[in-house]
Amino acid sequence: MSDVAAPSMPPLLRRLRQGYFATPVDAVVSILCIAAIVAIVVPIVRWAVIDANFAGTTRADCTGEGACWVFIKARFGQFMYGFYPVDQRWRVNAAGLLLVATVCFSFWKAMPRRAIAVPALWALMLLVGAWLLAGGFGLPRVETRQWGGLMLTVFLSVYAGVLAVPLGILLALGRQSELPVIRLVATIFIEFWRGVPIITVIFLASLLLPLVMPAGWDIDRLVRALVGLAFVIAAYMAEAVRGGLQAIPKGQWEAAAAGGLGYWQTTGLIVLPQALRISMPAMTNEFIALVKNTSLVSIVSIFDLLGIAQASLADPAWVGLNKEAYAFAGTVYWIICFGLSRWSRHLEASRKTTH
Amino acid sequence: MTTLRRGALVAAFALVAGSAGAQQLIPSPTLDAIRARGHLECGVHLGLPGFSFANDKGEWTGLDVDYCRALAAAVLGDANKVRYTPTSVQQRWPVLQSGQVDVLSRNTTITYSRNATLGVNFQGINFYEGQTFIVRTASGAKKPTDLENASICVAAGSTEERMAADYFRERNLKVSIINFQKNDDAIAAYDAGRCDSYTAGVGALAGQRIKLRNPGEHTIMTELISNDPQGPVTRWGDERWQAIVRWVLNGMIAAEHLGVTSKNVDEMRTNSRNAEIRRLLGADGNFGAMLGLDNAWMFNAIKQVGNYSESYERTVGKGSPLGLERGSNQLWTRGGLLFTPPFQ
Repeated sequence: MSDVAAPSMPPLLRRLRQGYFATPVDAVVSILCIAAIVAIVVPIVRWAVIDANFAGTTRADCTGEGACWVFIKARFGQFMYGFYPVDQRWRVNAAGLLLVATVCFSFWKAMPRRAIAVPALWALMLLVGAWLLAGGFGLPRVETRQWGGLMLTVFLSVYAGVLAVPLGILLALGRQSELPVIRLVATIFIEFWRGVPIITVIFLASLLLPLVMPAGWDIDRLVRALVGLAFVIAAYMAEAVRGGLQAIPKGQWEAAAAGGLGYWQTTGLIVLPQALRISMPAMTNEFIALVKNTSLVSIVSIFDLLGIAQASLADPAWVGLNKEAYAFAGTVYWIICFGLSRWSRHLEASRKTTH
Repeated sequence: MTTLRRGALVAAFALVAGSAGAQQLIPSPTLDAIRARGHLECGVHLGLPGFSFANDKGEWTGLDVDYCRALAAAVLGDANKVRYTPTSVQQRWPVLQSGQVDVLSRNTTITYSRNATLGVNFQGINFYEGQTFIVRTASGAKKPTDLENASICVAAGSTEERMAADYFRERNLKVSIINFQKNDDAIAAYDAGRCDSYTAGVGALAGQRIKLRNPGEHTIMTELISNDPQGPVTRWGDERWQAIVRWVLNGMIAAEHLGVTSKNVDEMRTNSRNAEIRRLLGADGNFGAMLGLDNAWMFNAIKQVGNYSESYERTVGKGSPLGLERGSNQLWTRGGLLFTPPFQ
């Protein structure tokens, strides 16, 4: 059938014909698929773009049949920053820039003492970021209940994710340890947090903890949710790292021991760098899952991006615009997660090693 | 015998204290804590049209939020000194019980078992919620019994379905109840004209009416077929604080009854010759001080937030997109249920 296309056909048409209409069955399947795509995409585009309302400031400006993006425009500040005071929002932006700068620096291959400098840089970023967001030491304090929107989603993802990495590595090493007590503790920790649904963890951290804590003790509710998330993700990360550890041949341990290296030197210099490289895609997957799982905090009335989108639907001035709110929140989540997955593909490709 | 003697002693003590000018206040740790931190902690709904929601500027507004503001004005002199803890259905009790909020003003139905088992007290009623029906105004149906032979859309298996079925069976009226999987489907069907009516709580119906294609063509009946009164809630203990919470709500209702509004409150305080108004606004007597507050407590609340009617109309009533009638939430003197004991 390869000679079906006439040689005089333009290359694009020829490729189309060979790819989609080579046989009658192919043609039928292709036409059905195209019809289905058109049937789905056309109404969405009509709603979201062609018939949509972009100009104006109130509900009354939404006259067309399509989406009312005026709503998103009016609420954009809240969707991004929650109830963070308007005159302090530069601090959120600064923390965001700091995060971007840290990510970029992590890619700098020629950085001196990279193995120590990168973790140190991230730790510093977390500290400075927390100071910028929460205030104190010269900056006005902003309570965590005023945080919200995309900023809170990114905060929870970055802080829970970054805290989970070292904890996950330690847990994975602990689970492989030859000391029975450490092995037992690490195993129990991992299995417990992996076995409990995240929604339960968030509920317990938010509702039960304040009731059992002694009077006067009060841990910020955002911190409680953050620690809960970090523990669960650390348990998943630990399993991802364990996969990497198990892929390292036993001979390398023996060779290192023969060369006079101790446990920490062997682990730090030989085993972990290889194991982390292997487990990087799995760890990125866990991180992407974490970004989406942060939306579960909205069940305890912490207004992350999804939570604030839902809450804004209660304003009688905008009531009934569910589609717009969810479409916007979904798109933002998708952009973040798609970006992360492209990044992880890039990491895999650039770290490919030949054995 | 001992209890009796102790009771008599307390009564005697109260008499002495009373005659001494109420200088002996029982301690109120909640009030002390509020003054020390400089703001009121109020638990609210995380998003309910008309009752509690954040507007475009990020300010909390609504009927339940207004109560928090009035309480803050009475206690701290400034209606803006409130911080809100939005709560879900599951969260509302733990945040109150664990002391994270001083008061819960969150569209919560007062029931016997909650009062008896949860360690909470209900301090009055700021909204008489109850199930009723929405109909097209053109149909002419004014009260639930007018719905004979009508069709009613409901979500299958909901409390509303059972209540409605029981109501009409008891009165031997024929209606056809049409079941839908979800509430949203039932409303959509009503909007599309498949049924003559849809049923839910007054507050919920008000929120849903503005989502209909032509909200102006629909009427929410004022007669209720169920009884779900709602109001501010406190934890057990600290009786003085509970009294403050109760009487600030009473004060807003009394202000409406006495014709005191945020506009005329200054003038009323100086010129009114009505003894109750003078006591309420702190022009005469020391009513605020009796509970350990400034004598201008209710003056501040009414000046900054308004009386009950002003708050109602602005948030859920005719001055708001929800456009609810007063209905049961009208004063007892005008055919409603809203009532306050006297400020004497």
